[in-house]
Amino acid sequence: MTKPWVRWAGLLLVIVVLVVAPLVLPQFMNQTLARIGVFAVAVLGLNVVMGYTGQVSLGQIFFVGVGAYVTAYGVNNDWNIALVFILAALIPGIIGLLISLAAARLGGLAIAMVTIALPLIGVPLAKRLSDFTGGSQGSSARFSGAPEWTGLYDDQWQLYIVIAVAGVVFLLTRNLVRGKYGRAFAIVKGNEAVASSMGVSPYRYKVLAFTIASLIGGVSGFLYMVVVQYTSPETMSFGHSISLLAAMVIGGAGSILGSLLGGAYYVLAPQVTNAIDSSLTAVMQGAILLVILFVLPGGLVSLPRLWRRRKREGPGKPAAGSVAASADRSPTPTAPPETPTTEVQEKRQDT
Amino acid sequence: MTLLELTDVTAFYGPVQVLEGVSLSVPDEGAVGILGANGAGKTTTLRAISGTVRSGGKIVFDGKDIRGMRPDKVAALGIAHVPEGRGTLGALTVRENLRVGAYLRKDRKGIESDIDYCLDLFPNLKERIRSHGSALSGGEQQMLAVARAVMAKPRLLLLDEASLGLAPSTAKNVYQAIGRLRQESGIAMLVVEQNANLAFTLVDTATVLETGRNALTGTSAELKGMDEIRRAYLGG
Amino acid sequence: MGTFIQLVIDGLSAGSIYGALALAIVLVNQATGLINFAQGGMAVLAAYFAYSFLQLGLPLILAILASVLASFVLGALIERFLMRRFEQGDPDTAVVVTIGLLTLITGICGWIWSYNNLQFPSLFPLQNINVLGAVVSIRSIGTTLVIVGIMVLLQLLFIGTKLGLALRAVAVNPQSAAFSGLPVGRLLMVGWGLAAGLGAIAGALIAPSLTLTPGMMDSALVYALAAVILGGLSSPIGVVVAAWLIGVLENLAAVYVPIIGFDLKIAVPFILIFIVLIVRPQGLFGRKDVVRV
Repeated sequence: MTKPWVRWAGLLLVIVVLVVAPLVLPQFMNQTLARIGVFAVAVLGLNVVMGYTGQVSLGQIFFVGVGAYVTAYGVNNDWNIALVFILAALIPGIIGLLISLAAARLGGLAIAMVTIALPLIGVPLAKRLSDFTGGSQGSSARFSGAPEWTGLYDDQWQLYIVIAVAGVVFLLTRNLVRGKYGRAFAIVKGNEAVASSMGVSPYRYKVLAFTIASLIGGVSGFLYMVVVQYTSPETMSFGHSISLLAAMVIGGAGSILGSLLGGAYYVLAPQVTNAIDSSLTAVMQGAILLVILFVLPGGLVSLPRLWRRRKREGPGKPAAGSVAASADRSPTPTAPPETPTTEVQEKRQDT
Repeated sequence: MTLLELTDVTAFYGPVQVLEGVSLSVPDEGAVGILGANGAGKTTTLRAISGTVRSGGKIVFDGKDIRGMRPDKVAALGIAHVPEGRGTLGALTVRENLRVGAYLRKDRKGIESDIDYCLDLFPNLKERIRSHGSALSGGEQQMLAVARAVMAKPRLLLLDEASLGLAPSTAKNVYQAIGRLRQESGIAMLVVEQNANLAFTLVDTATVLETGRNALTGTSAELKGMDEIRRAYLGG
Repeated sequence: MGTFIQLVIDGLSAGSIYGALALAIVLVNQATGLINFAQGGMAVLAAYFAYSFLQLGLPLILAILASVLASFVLGALIERFLMRRFEQGDPDTAVVVTIGLLTLITGICGWIWSYNNLQFPSLFPLQNINVLGAVVSIRSIGTTLVIVGIMVLLQLLFIGTKLGLALRAVAVNPQSAAFSGLPVGRLLMVGWGLAAGLGAIAGALIAPSLTLTPGMMDSALVYALAAVILGGLSSPIGVVVAAWLIGVLENLAAVYVPIIGFDLKIAVPFILIFIVLIVRPQGLFGRKDVVRV
């Protein structure tokens, strides 16, 4: 366990870095970091419902898109920016609430099966509602230029906004998942029958998690507009939906730090794979996801833990844990003890 | 002639060792019981034989080393495991369950006549021949499980806690049928039972397991006579 | 009236495709306990196989059969070497693996055959016939009949043959099946192979109208999943009926409900799900399943 003063010093260092970095880094780095921040928030939202509560969701990018569109619309109609921010989070949140109220009732993988439709419905819907969305052309909104009094460049200002908003969201979420809600999510993820018997309603917590995820997604959409200043139906395409999910898994499911890594992966990986061979980019991304699932199911964030365990226990096969097995709650092993292969069980037959 | 020989068999659930060294032997056409309290390792011993748990030591069946073999390969050699919990194929009918039991056989006529034999052995199943496995009562499912194993024409039957969850009269019926089966077919049997009284109606010899090891071994007569057995397992 | 009949028959045709894909998903789920989100992608890959066989000069029907065979083998291999590891574990992890597989397959298709739309010939003549005063395409009728025929064959396989019995036994309780000597691993491979073959047929039948692209069956997958939700994972018949319902309703909605129109047809199944859920949480045909702890 690290001593408290080391922790505080570390925190101070991080804060100093966050304040100073935008001022000294070149423009393209600031922009890249800002984009990483945007998608780290998106991945964080997905983690709440998927990493922590164990519900596969393919709809997160939809909520990001809705948040972006709401932001664009509000800004272009000169609404108060605080109101825009609130609506950018709230409207996706309400949609998420409604969807999960229905989907969570079905249990099993229903949320996955329903959310897969969101991007596929979202894209034509965005094109159709052209009065709000600008149709296929998309919608741009410039509102994140640095104000005069700061003396900052635009990219620095935007990065600060992202850092500030993302920082708050990360902190709030961290507190959420380390508190009683987080424990409830974990119980639901582990075994729904056990959860019910403990008085923890799987239905209620799935709805809660999904709604929070969509709220956070909306915030990410707002930040998206801050940084990119343009959104279109493409933003919430099916391909992006899968990429976001992959990024979450690769970064580290059920982990705050993993969400950051996931955001970084989402932004940086396509650049790298394109540089290697642009026609193979999708192949590589699929392959990377599969390799991670086989070799490092806890995601990149679990590397140090795995390394430490390997050193302690000596060579041996790493236990194949579930995707969301890693938790930054407490130092528990990533996988449950091997259950006997002899358990005679009827197959689960629900959806 | 020894049909099955276990020598210092160990077994593991993951990193946890459950059997510390179990030895026993089943003669051709013989019946041996494995007794002991809950958690002693009785079921695990059977699982070690049928290959459904990681094991060590020596397991020799009909001269062949079968330790570590896959379950379906063990079955192909002539060992039929009637598992704890019965393993009923719920979504299939009784007849289909029996057919599955005969999966490895190719003699259609033989299979059909064996189905008739099983239905004669377990008349309850005859009435339920078209019902789904999941619709059967506990006792009927136990009978079905034994019948399914018989359909494979095995040389050795592994019976795991056949009386578990059954009313005493039903359990007695099941054991009577199994006794008849033994007499008429000469199938060797390895019987795991918590209910020692029932076991002794079937087996010639038995071994008592305690925390993964043999504690006592002897003929049924010898064991029934021992005070410890009487007190611990025979109620007085 | 003519339009109505036309829409219904076209809807049945589309619904048959969704139903075939949905059946494949149910098949895989019953055998290995997971939902294969790559089922549509595998079907597209099979269609590309057929396309390549065509380029090599094979007649269409042989090209399709060859692709079904290749698909069967591929499905079996995927089960053995990719999915086997994840079958005993958390179903959500397995789903993510299939999503990774989908990305990989889509990428491979795009890489080998490019992302351009390719023309795929139709198995049926592109003519229309007159049915009860409506102009109906032979292709729609043919598609529906072929898929119904295949479903009947599959039913016969499962109920009437030893292999079918074995597949069902393994689906219910693999370990118990192993005790009776069933080669569980091999049977799981066959299950996946059959599902992949079924998908291959669906892919070949839908490719002519959609044109062949790597993402060709993404929408079909969504419809198939909706059919699975509505029909219930335990009911193959329910799933097929639900698929037909979805196919017909979305076609009718596209024309008769202007708000939805053609571009938002895909919302129809989910509106349907929403409505059905309120009344019957277990789906149209599914049993109220007891979750075993």
